[in-house]
Amino acid sequence: MNASSDMSFFTLIMGASLPVQLVMLILISTSLFSWWYIFIKVATIKRAERDAEDFENTFWTGGDLNKLYDGIAASRRKPQGMASIFEAGFKECARHKQQGRMEVSDVMEGARRAMRAAYNREMDELDAHLPFLASVGSVSPYIGLFGTVWGIMNAFRGLSNVAQATLSQVAPGIAEALVATAIGLFAAIPAVIAYNRFASSVDRLSVRYESFMEEFTNILQRKS
Amino acid sequence: MLRQRENPDSFKAGALSISVHVVLLGALLISFNWKTTHPVSIANVELWDSLPAVTVQKPLIIPEPIEQPLVQPKPVVKEVVKPEPVIEPEPKALVDIVIKKKSVEKPVEKEKPKEVKKPDALAELQKKLVQDELQKPQKQPSNDALKKLQQESLSEDKAEGDQKNLAAKAAANTGVTGEFTNKIKAKIRGNVNKTLCGDGNPELKFEIGLLPTGQLSGNPKLVKSSGNAACDDAVERAIMASEPLPVPTDTSLFSQFRNLKLTFRPND
Repeated sequence: MNASSDMSFFTLIMGASLPVQLVMLILISTSLFSWWYIFIKVATIKRAERDAEDFENTFWTGGDLNKLYDGIAASRRKPQGMASIFEAGFKECARHKQQGRMEVSDVMEGARRAMRAAYNREMDELDAHLPFLASVGSVSPYIGLFGTVWGIMNAFRGLSNVAQATLSQVAPGIAEALVATAIGLFAAIPAVIAYNRFASSVDRLSVRYESFMEEFTNILQRKS
Repeated sequence: MLRQRENPDSFKAGALSISVHVVLLGALLISFNWKTTHPVSIANVELWDSLPAVTVQKPLIIPEPIEQPLVQPKPVVKEVVKPEPVIEPEPKALVDIVIKKKSVEKPVEKEKPKEVKKPDALAELQKKLVQDELQKPQKQPSNDALKKLQQESLSEDKAEGDQKNLAAKAAANTGVTGEFTNKIKAKIRGNVNKTLCGDGNPELKFEIGLLPTGQLSGNPKLVKSSGNAACDDAVERAIMASEPLPVPTDTSLFSQFRNLKLTFRPND
């Protein structure tokens, strides 16, 4: 319905100069990717939170830790989140005990280091793609602005050849150019919102993991 | 690019992200009215421009039909004079009436030349006749007839004027502007030192801005040179020297003289 009119969205994009079109292409693909990552992060963080909830429930019901460990090790999928931290710490502790005649503090140190390593791996997984969202949020408005400035430069350059300058000679060029800023903002706003939201979610998860590590260390120390 | 544990979500997330873009693009296309409406054609503006000329042209057209009513008042005046001696019941009013008779007769005779200049004279005549009516009720029938005749002639004036206006406007406008342009040219031509323009027939165009007083609003601008700088200068000096230039006193006509393009052929 809009294709017939001279100011439709598509003619605005098609009529823009090549650099502006490139800028629009970059921004649209950036926006697609950032939205893709946003949906992926939503799913993974939700799953990590659910896993942490489930694991804390089973852990604090006071069942046998050996059983719990066997269950985790036997499961088909690789342990994730708190389960992987628990698995790393328990395995390390069991190995030290098998070797025997070890100081309790050394055993605890070893288990703690193993859990720290597992925690770091988990945090790396959780933090994935967040830097991409952050840079999309901060940079894409500038890219859009660059496209707009370029387009407006062209519009005014065309104006310089005309004796009587009217608004109708500049307006289409500026409208074309402003599409670039619009796309840039469209890419940036969701990315910034998503980044802030995911960063806070990851922070809360990391606090949860760390407190679990401390508590599990205490339990291991009591048992050994 | 993707972590191992993110693989199960990747297709779903990709589909969702594309659908978000499609939805937003659709919202953008629907919510905005991308069609541009162009303003109404410029021909209307020309009509507005010519409207003020209607008031200007009226005095030019009206004089023609006025000749008809002029013929008819004459018998009325004669009739008025005759019955007066018959109707003299009041002894005191005698002197007054005689004086008024003269005053009535005089304006009607004098008004012949006046009416040609001003349509207002008709109204004046009407007023006087109405006054006479009040003083001399005997004249009513003849006066009524006179009024009717005047009103008819006036309405005829309007109808004829309206018809003629459209045709006359354009012709008269161009005629008046052409006349003044020729006057301006003639005045400037008298001041040009033709010897500076050589033997050929150079043609040059100047654009001048005029004030309502006939003064130049700025320096004349050379639009098309004759190729001879001395000749151009001579014409420019001539334009400056011929201030004030003749311009129409009518302000509505003057708008065409605010920026005037003049073509000169000094050796013509």
